Amino acid sequence: MVNLEFHDPSGAIEVKQPFAPRVASLEGKRVGFVSNDQWQAYRMLPLLKSLLETDFAGIEVLPLDAFPQGNAVIGSEETAAHVKQSGVDAVIIGNAA
Amino acid sequence: MGIPTVTLTRADFVGVMTNAVAGLGLAPDAAMVTFPIDMFLPGSDISPVQARKREFYDGLTRWRSAFGADGAADAPMIKVQGASVDDAFSRANNLMLANRWGDGLPLWPPTRERVSWIRRGATQPRGHRVGIFPPRGGVTTVETCAIALAMAGGRPEYLPVLVAAVDAFLDPASGSAQLQAASGSAFPVVIVNGPIGAQIRLNSGFGCLGPDPQRPAGASIGRALRLLQQNVGGALPGIGTMANYGGVRYTNVVFAEDEANLPPGWATHATERHAFAPGQNSISLAFANGATNIRRRGAKKETPEEDALQGMYRMADFMRVPNMPGLSGYEHGTPGILMLPGVVANTMARLGWTKASIREFLWEHSRIPTEHLRRAGCPAWLEIDSSKVVRESIALDPWPITASPDNFIVVVAGGGHPTNSYWLQGYSPGVVGRELELPPSFDALLAEAERDLGPR
Repeated sequence: MVNLEFHDPSGAIEVKQPFAPRVASLEGKRVGFVSNDQWQAYRMLPLLKSLLETDFAGIEVLPLDAFPQGNAVIGSEETAAHVKQSGVDAVIIGNAA
Repeated sequence: MGIPTVTLTRADFVGVMTNAVAGLGLAPDAAMVTFPIDMFLPGSDISPVQARKREFYDGLTRWRSAFGADGAADAPMIKVQGASVDDAFSRANNLMLANRWGDGLPLWPPTRERVSWIRRGATQPRGHRVGIFPPRGGVTTVETCAIALAMAGGRPEYLPVLVAAVDAFLDPASGSAQLQAASGSAFPVVIVNGPIGAQIRLNSGFGCLGPDPQRPAGASIGRALRLLQQNVGGALPGIGTMANYGGVRYTNVVFAEDEANLPPGWATHATERHAFAPGQNSISLAFANGATNIRRRGAKKETPEEDALQGMYRMADFMRVPNMPGLSGYEHGTPGILMLPGVVANTMARLGWTKASIREFLWEHSRIPTEHLRRAGCPAWLEIDSSKVVRESIALDPWPITASPDNFIVVVAGGGHPTNSYWLQGYSPGVVGRELELPPSFDALLAEAERDLGPR
């Protein structure tokens, strides 16, 4: 028999931080959207906004353009800082396609 | 950010998402609600969003990652057993394909012995960290590069070029983080300057875009880079990268500038673009999304002046296209790489042309009339661009395809024949250069190559 032993070529992955804890409920929470404004986001995200406002008492859903929109900016540190500063409890991101 | 998120995305975009998340230092996982591509197209039925609203709510309230918070250690060695050398080799190749580590062509199993041999071309220790490969975030070391080069059939004397190319690739200025996952099928182009090109049998002449058994270095180096993009960076077609077509990704593009045939007074690409000293070994990395042969010379009784000028107009005509992905490099990158054979470059130089005057000509004559941009819907792309320079360029009529003539890359490369030139259309946010470091044993490695492959 011939034995061959070789390296896994995929390299190591470092996990440096945990995911953010989820909120217990969306009632009474502030929710924002971070949108690239593409792939029918202009139709789907307003629908989600109205669904959230209907389904959860006391929820505040920020306008779709509360944060910078577009592929070029939504992943930036500036946008992340803007979102954090806004005091939202949760964020919906879309649309990736 | 510390704020829970849920992402609305396409079903086969999950790999792109998990790569992106892993690249941020999180576990390769994310709260997502996925739908088929049809729902993302104009005029689609979006009622599934309402039907599945609970999944969005759960993503923000109940979702938990399937991964632990601990960092991953180095992967263990893979073991296969075969009845013969051929059988073991075949099993190893099957396993690598099954694990999605291959490209469809035979791979050399990266055994300890093979990888140690390749590593003789390194100047840094095996664990030296070159960077984090986007978007998946795989840790990339000298050893990771050596493993890929071993798989690609490479040799130790190729390693300095590969490590420098990977270092340039991982520089945020290259734009690789976006291009690795994007649909535009960008592929890296590595231009090598300095004596190392000829020393390691990297082609600069006939067939320099390959394949070429006489000068095989470019194939292995480019293939190794592609394997790193896929295996460490996560750019798996349709899963980690949405590149519609993939482009020339088996071996990417790796060639040397034909410095021996540079006209007197013409600087190398490395000196012009990166201010590297003449004779310095270096690489320059850009991205392209197209490759076009241009029949440049005249067919009848043109004078040398007419032949050169008509060829220049014809090349500019090939560049006058609405390459919207190229906007990412409009300000600081390149609209593309023009390859001129040495014989053409020398004829043009005798007529007074320089690399600079060629770039000026191409910039001026590749402009697109605004009316043509408008009818093709291009102004919308210019308006949403993050660059102010791009947005303001809408006012220019005819519209220049790049912000400055200096952005054009002109290199002398290709066989000694005047008929053709070559245009690698750019999709390149930046052009990143690196000087090469060679190990003290480099001459010995070249001697071994001479022994193994015959004289150059």
